[in-house]
Amino acid sequence: MEVETAVSFRPGELEVDSSGAGHLLGSRCASCGAHFFPVRQACAGCLGTDLEAVRLSTTGTLYTFSIVRQSTPEFEVPYALGYVDFSEGVRIMGQISGCDLEDIWIGMQLSLSVEPFGEDEDGNQLSGYRFRPTEAGSGGGS
Amino acid sequence: MTDVHILGVGMTRFGRHPDSDASDLGAEALLEAIADAEIDARAVEAAYCGHVFQGMVTGQRILAQVGLAGLPLTNVENACSSGATAIREASLAIRAGEHDVVVAIGTEHLTSRFRGALTPDPSDPEAAVGATMPGVYAMRARRYMEEFGMTREQLALIPVKNKGNAARNPLAHFRTPITVEEVLESRPIADPLNLHDCSPVTDGAAAVVVMSDRAAGRFANGRTVRLAASALRSGSVDVEPTSMTFEPLTWATARDAYEKAGIGPDDIDLAEVHDCFSIAEVLRVEGLGLFEQGSYPTAVERGEADIGGRLPINPSGGLIGKGHPLGGTGVAQVVEVVRQLRGEVGDRQVEGAKVGVAHCRGGKAVGIEGAACTVQVLVR
Repeated sequence: MEVETAVSFRPGELEVDSSGAGHLLGSRCASCGAHFFPVRQACAGCLGTDLEAVRLSTTGTLYTFSIVRQSTPEFEVPYALGYVDFSEGVRIMGQISGCDLEDIWIGMQLSLSVEPFGEDEDGNQLSGYRFRPTEAGSGGGS
Repeated sequence: MTDVHILGVGMTRFGRHPDSDASDLGAEALLEAIADAEIDARAVEAAYCGHVFQGMVTGQRILAQVGLAGLPLTNVENACSSGATAIREASLAIRAGEHDVVVAIGTEHLTSRFRGALTPDPSDPEAAVGATMPGVYAMRARRYMEEFGMTREQLALIPVKNKGNAARNPLAHFRTPITVEEVLESRPIADPLNLHDCSPVTDGAAAVVVMSDRAAGRFANGRTVRLAASALRSGSVDVEPTSMTFEPLTWATARDAYEKAGIGPDDIDLAEVHDCFSIAEVLRVEGLGLFEQGSYPTAVERGEADIGGRLPINPSGGLIGKGHPLGGTGVAQVVEVVRQLRGEVGDRQVEGAKVGVAHCRGGKAVGIEGAACTVQVLVR
């Protein structure tokens, strides 16, 4: 499987396969099973250092959100920003796409989606992740 | 071990200072603090300077301006807790017996470095997806509203209170009281927060002179306030998602401070807390154990947090009213508490105050609840 890393994020954070589907990468502690995002070098629970990189699940529950209306120049406003809880016990921040800003609610199910996300210094399109309502899309970047 | 005492405080006007820089402001505050302590500047043995965006050796530029270059000096960065951390470091140098007279300075010329919404460091994965500090606090506000039924109007009462207090503070950035309607109609920044819910981009500096028992006896000026505790913690990594409507970091730091000072929340007469956003004041005072979780919005409605109320919160105007020059903020909070305990603040005086608390909290990094938190207990 061909794997490329989206360059708008730190290397090793977002993995995208040849079909365009993505996974966020985290750490799993081999000693106590705790998961972390992003990748860590030791476990905050038991301080074990035997951590393996794992692909995190791609569907989670919206914990809270905001519509951001003032941001830095790289980001076009408004956009929806949320914290999504995943079954491994990690909470990840991301933008929410694929629905009207008025149709976002705490508790909704969202799926990871790989999408165009900003440009590099030479104007080349970069890819990154957002979260989309599970009902409204495949989560695969459609 | 010696106690730590504050004998001198100084603070610039907070606001826009287009004709000064961070070292001008720091020097002005430091000279005022030394004069307020009624000591010869040559008595100062060491210095700590907190700032965030002012570049290398800002503290040295301040000391060079006031003729004190040559002292041991440490520049301190801990995001919005930088100045408060400088005070803690000064207090540790006193407690360790290394020095008897130490100054702590906090300064920031933010208008020349920065505009718009503050964000985490660009290297942070949350910054990469569009995190802004208003956005993060807006998310906490929305969750708090969902869990505790706080209304948007209740939240608006916090900027109304704090800008009302700031109108009584000649050093504050904002001097005009506002109404709930003005908060609700101000420009949306990150729903549900509007412009009046946010602390402004402010220039300013503050400084304190701290001393050991021995020096405080020798330089006694009749206005000494004891720094009974100066606690610091960094945010821990979440092993699993935790509530964003309560602040374990604030509570852990407060517990350290209360234990060191030998007090409890019931002993506190006033608090300056880190209200970088309206919702932040709610989370701070509940995290400090000053109000039960979920109760603060109605307490504010009843006037309990007003000057003259059961427990005045941010009588200076707080970050929302007084202004928020990042490095200067934590020191300015302590300056306000010292002046309150001395009875020097005129029509915003909290009558009979004996014990005051200053709480600062700053910074954001992925996976941790907050970056740096300080709680200082001051006793007259």
